[in-house]
Amino acid sequence: MTLLELDRVSRHHRHGALEHVVLRGISLTIEPGELVAVWGPRRCGRSTLLRIAAGIEPPDAGVVRFAGRELGARGGDALGRGVGYVRLDAHQSEGRVVLDELVLAQLARGVTATIARTRAHEALRRAEASHCTSSSTHALDSSETVRVALARTLVQDPALLVIDEPVKGVDLLERDAILALLRTFADEGITVLVSAGDATALLGADRAFALSEGVLRGEHVREGAQVLPLRRLAGV
Amino acid sequence: MRSPVSWALLGLVIHRPSYGYELVQRFERIHGDSLELSSMSQIYTALDTLEHRGLIEEIAAENGEVAGVRQPKPHYRATAQGVSEHRQWLVGQLAEERRRSRLFVRQLAMLAAPDALAVIEQLERSCLREAATAGPVDGANMPVDGHATAERLLSEEQRLAADAKLSWILYARRQLTALATRPSARR
Repeated sequence: MTLLELDRVSRHHRHGALEHVVLRGISLTIEPGELVAVWGPRRCGRSTLLRIAAGIEPPDAGVVRFAGRELGARGGDALGRGVGYVRLDAHQSEGRVVLDELVLAQLARGVTATIARTRAHEALRRAEASHCTSSSTHALDSSETVRVALARTLVQDPALLVIDEPVKGVDLLERDAILALLRTFADEGITVLVSAGDATALLGADRAFALSEGVLRGEHVREGAQVLPLRRLAGV
Repeated sequence: MRSPVSWALLGLVIHRPSYGYELVQRFERIHGDSLELSSMSQIYTALDTLEHRGLIEEIAAENGEVAGVRQPKPHYRATAQGVSEHRQWLVGQLAEERRRSRLFVRQLAMLAAPDALAVIEQLERSCLREAATAGPVDGANMPVDGHATAERLLSEEQRLAADAKLSWILYARRQLTALATRPSARR
């Protein structure tokens, strides 16, 4: 079953009397466990596309469906109910201890303290950020910031991770480790949708698209009906 | 010497002096995805060529026998001339890439704009696929040795090349679209 479907999605931005078409009737389906990457130049609309896919921003026309249900019809509550939009800059300025930040976010959603701590530790482990547990968010380097942001979203147990430019500004030597981590999440069954301003960040994607002038080009129909995770194929 | 097999083989001998069969094995492991051997004898023929041109030479076998007398497994090493010519050939490959690019772009420009746009679209898909599959995803976790380093360098080179081509494709698409929508567009 298709997890995410964008059906003829369009978006315009208006600057005074000028109207700029950002997305022109884009259609895209993503299956569970797929890692899909969207490449494009600056201001091509890739961030807008991801926000619409996550249900944060409504399209001007067209429909976004998550697990068969229209995102708009959920009253804007898609986030936290299966869709995890990774905010790379969230709360960094507050300088909290990483573990506290992950726990507090859950407490606000009504999770008990014990469960919240267990989930936080597990999410940090999965994001390979356990070493950051007691660090202040101020003290994280670029790679750790991404890992902690991923952990912050993983505690919500999302079926879909949406990340805008996950390796932008990340040290070159750490970049591929982050990409490998995203590949691992997809192999574990989490669907991942990322954007990239640089094609070096497309490594590991099951399908990669180019977005320019409002048009999404690439492999719209995935070869083969079933997604076969790389790790399982390799017998790992 | 035009054969890329011969140059690749010379590179292997420069990396580590060896004998025919081991070079066949190494050739297939390292270059098998880019250079296909018609048969094992192609390596032996290439070794003869390299030796004849003074780029490699036989060396004494480990057991002390003089190579070339009754030596069943002649070992080869690169000569100083071989190392020098191999380096020049490597640099020359960049010129060869430029030549191929010129040929491609000029052929593309010969097409009617809609046909050229169709080619561009296929090329774009190919570049996206190449960027997504350029090397192992966990390359960052591979050990620091010669083979892993070569794989990482290759992955980065392919991804950067794909990035540059994708940017060029955006530019080419705009130019060709403008050409196609001109009232006096060719054909």
